[in-house]
Amino acid sequence: MTGTTDPASPRAGAGEPISESEALQRLRQIDDHSDQYYAAWWLGRMRSRHPEAVPLLQAALRRRQPREAASGVEHNAVARNAARALGKLGDPQAIPDLLAALEDEDDGLREAAARALGELRAEGAVAVLCQRLASGLAGAGAPLDPRSPRLREPCEAMLEALGDIGVAETTVLAVIEPFLDHDRPLIRSAAGRALFLLSGDPRRAEGLVSLLEHPQLQVRRAALMDLGAVGWRPALEPIRRTLAENSLKLIALRGLVEKGQGEPDTESLLAAMDELL
Amino acid sequence: MMRPFQDLIAAVEQADSSDALLVATENLAGMTGGAGDAEAIDCLIRVLGFNNPGASVAAVEGLIAIGTAAVQPLLATLDEHNYGARAWAVRALAGIRDVRGLELLEGALGKDVGPSVRRAAARGLGQLSHEGLQGEERERLNGRCLTALEAACRDGEWVVRYAVVVGLESLALTLSPESDLRRRAQDSLSSLAKPCLEDTPVVRLRAELALRRLNERAGDGGSR
Repeated sequence: MTGTTDPASPRAGAGEPISESEALQRLRQIDDHSDQYYAAWWLGRMRSRHPEAVPLLQAALRRRQPREAASGVEHNAVARNAARALGKLGDPQAIPDLLAALEDEDDGLREAAARALGELRAEGAVAVLCQRLASGLAGAGAPLDPRSPRLREPCEAMLEALGDIGVAETTVLAVIEPFLDHDRPLIRSAAGRALFLLSGDPRRAEGLVSLLEHPQLQVRRAALMDLGAVGWRPALEPIRRTLAENSLKLIALRGLVEKGQGEPDTESLLAAMDELL
Repeated sequence: MMRPFQDLIAAVEQADSSDALLVATENLAGMTGGAGDAEAIDCLIRVLGFNNPGASVAAVEGLIAIGTAAVQPLLATLDEHNYGARAWAVRALAGIRDVRGLELLEGALGKDVGPSVRRAAARGLGQLSHEGLQGEERERLNGRCLTALEAACRDGEWVVRYAVVVGLESLALTLSPESDLRRRAQDSLSSLAKPCLEDTPVVRLRAELALRRLNERAGDGGSR
């Protein structure tokens, strides 16, 4: 649609309005990392089709950086944004660099790469993702250190990527299943989402529905996004009742319309969306 | 078990958890639409800024039940720093359908940085009440609503364009099928239904549905 692909005139919500050539120029230079950071995000957000966009983002992804506390730039911030943008641009040429990033020691970069590989439906990533998750709850799923909110692997992103890529082999399912019992609900939600996408087993979608009543808003939000991603139409009523922002319910219901099928029918879903505007 | 409004308002002001706020707001909102509304308005408007979606839904319903008396206070207290609160206030104004909200809805749809605000405004512009308006005034109001909605067909956020479809449909249903405005509304809907112009499937599906409904009621002048 015009609004998201016309780079000459970014719309409200798209941040500082710059042109596509300005974005490419900011990414090409390597001295100002916050300019590169913004440019990488911009190219992804605007779904740039410029032939230089993907090669420049790949170069930015290959260049790792230390954290620059003084300028507020995080560890590998540019590389992470480049990975995210490459996921959005949909060019399989980026897959080898993203696979390499999956082996990086920076878990934030591994997370961005996993998500991008999921968006690209990169079947070549399945083996690495499975290998990194195979140690299960006690390994990949254990906290990085006792006080850290981070896990040893970015499990949520990796599980979701396996679901999005869609290789439904029993070995893949077996790697994901243990995470249904993770003590963090966000990980359980990601595992349920992936397993439903791979197996179509309604129990997994029902597990997501039950998380819509979780006491933490953050968990209810994640379950809404996951139900939208799998398009489970029987979730319509529970989604309507969920205590969360209408914006997220609308995204979830869009997923039910576009990815789901059967009952409730499309017109009922659209009527529910109208009510939430 | 009529409790005085002061007690209901105090319960909202003193709520110390998000569940308590939800219940207190629902109790207060449930009693609106009669004597005591004037006291409830300010309290309900404050709830819109508390970042509690459940309570905000209840507060918006209460304000809509109060109706025209809430319009001026809503216009006067719009919070330019909190777009969550602004979105709920615009939703309340949209639901009340009072023409005094026109200018604010136009500005919100065209310029607000929050997609949730623009979305609520688009819906509201499709359903302003014509009550008390005669021929030419009515035509002018419809024209302004339509122009604002047409301009927003190219909004960068799918959810705003979705709301524009809903707004265009409800506006068009009140227009005579032969009128120029109705044709313009249908042209906009047709472009939002085309894959080459609109990349979000749910927006196209909603636009197709709107066009079907307008065709079914082509012989029906519509009124509200």
